[in-house]
Amino acid sequence: MDVLRLKECFSKIAMHGDEVPLFFYSDLFIKHPETRELFPISMKAQREHLIGALAQIVSQVDRADELSVFLAGLGRDHRKFGALAEHYDVVGESLLETLAHFAGDTWTSELAADWKEAYGVVASVMIEAARQDEALRPAWWQGTVVSCERKAFDIAVLQVRPEPRLDFVPGQSVAIESPLRPRLWRYYSIANAPRQDGSLEFHVRLIDGGAVSMALTSGQAAGGTLRLGPPVGVLTLDTRSSRGMLMVAASTGLAPLKALTEHAASLPRPRPVHLFFCARTAEGLYDLPSLDKMASEHKWLTVVPSVSADSRFGGEKGSAPDVVMRSGTWSGHDAYLAGPTDFVREMSARLTTAGTPREQIHVEDFGWSEP
Amino acid sequence: MTMAWQDEQKRLTPDDVQSASFPLSRLGRRGYDEEHVRAFLSEVERELVTLLNEKISLWNEVERLRRRIIGGKKSGDGILFGREDAHVHAVRILSNAQLTADRYVADAQAYSHRLTEEARTRRDEILSQAQQHAEMVLEEAQARAREAALASLNAPPVPPQLEANRSALKAELAYLRTFGEVYRTHLRAYTEGMLRSIAEWERNEAGAIQQASAEAGGAFSLGAP
Repeated sequence: MDVLRLKECFSKIAMHGDEVPLFFYSDLFIKHPETRELFPISMKAQREHLIGALAQIVSQVDRADELSVFLAGLGRDHRKFGALAEHYDVVGESLLETLAHFAGDTWTSELAADWKEAYGVVASVMIEAARQDEALRPAWWQGTVVSCERKAFDIAVLQVRPEPRLDFVPGQSVAIESPLRPRLWRYYSIANAPRQDGSLEFHVRLIDGGAVSMALTSGQAAGGTLRLGPPVGVLTLDTRSSRGMLMVAASTGLAPLKALTEHAASLPRPRPVHLFFCARTAEGLYDLPSLDKMASEHKWLTVVPSVSADSRFGGEKGSAPDVVMRSGTWSGHDAYLAGPTDFVREMSARLTTAGTPREQIHVEDFGWSEP
Repeated sequence: MTMAWQDEQKRLTPDDVQSASFPLSRLGRRGYDEEHVRAFLSEVERELVTLLNEKISLWNEVERLRRRIIGGKKSGDGILFGREDAHVHAVRILSNAQLTADRYVADAQAYSHRLTEEARTRRDEILSQAQQHAEMVLEEAQARAREAALASLNAPPVPPQLEANRSALKAELAYLRTFGEVYRTHLRAYTEGMLRSIAEWERNEAGAIQQASAEAGGAFSLGAP
């Protein structure tokens, strides 16, 4: 395989931008119409993902180790989308057809052979990872929405019972697909530690124009079913540490931190936890009653609610980082932060400046910009 | 054929984007970060350039195929498309259909974004108005009640000691009665006003949704395969 030739060929083809994945999917759907139903109605985001993945694969094609980690993850991830081993062949055919189309006169039998070989490697790593994963867990879990409680104007708390039991580490999240928005998956943190009955709690904030969040917060959610992907994420409790913990949750960033607090409660020797729950207005402190209840049960837990834009609120007022930084010195604490990207970035910078070592700061970036 | 190109001339050009300027927001009001707006505009400009280039190359491709078809007819072999051409043609048709679907989804999403954003803003406005009003009513009621209490204290010269308790109670009673009265009246007026404004809002929204769905219906029937 001539790696340089492959890369050169791809960079020329990539100049055609969105046209490339557009051609690829149309070619695939014409030849194998049954594959269309594996994808959402709008393919815009899908096309960007494809080009992104292709670019990454091509750029790492000569670094097999890094690439195989990425591809194995991709292969496992595709199980919940309904991808089967036999799909890989037809995808390969359409991919080659697409590359040949855009390469035009520069397409040669040597190039075709290079691409075929490269794709063969990619597909076999993905298929193998998916096959191994199959032995461990289902591709997705069926979740029944036991209740959907509107806690604020734009926040709902869902209790979901997965079938079969879904094992996870507190602080992890799962991708959720609503039947109202087929083939659109969004990640949500599980807001509890594992329970006896296996049920999961999700805190969903309605995002303006957000397809999935709208489906999940609408009243129709209760009693219905959802599909849940496998648990992912690394915002989990560092149980080897003996330091006190600072947790700062902005809005529904509370979900993973509530799970961590429950996890902390189950440890034999609880460490002090300061949990700051920050919102714009008092109404946004949607889960304060249950936090207060936890605080009354555990001496080691201090809950501090704060708002940034609500003059009537009786408690702490100001931006979340300001409130946290004036409330104590945190350099000797493990910090856990969750919320919108901007908040996580600022909070983490403020803590670092004030002396908290970077490796003691654990973050979950919700990336709320995506609708 | 040339009509399409003439229409293009009136459309937004990359230069328009590049030279766009916006009035600054008044001091003390929230506005977008200028740098972000600039960065976004240049992204839009780049995207427009790419799109225009793509369009031109597609246009050329169409022209090339057209010439080929005409050439084929003249030479009398009667075949419009070879097998391969037919497939590429089919891919183009499906791609265009997909882009149309993408656009509809994006439009619907943008519409729902606008709608929820407006609802959120309107709700915040109503809440803060209600809060201000409630505070005002409370203040007024307190002031009037204080007046009434003072008046009843000052009114008749009363025998000392024994009457002291009675008049204090009377003052308290007058205070509470007046407070209650004023508060009730205001609350009633305010609630009625609020109901009226909600009814009006609902009417407007129903009208807008009807209009929007009529428009969308028309567009869909045109776009249907």
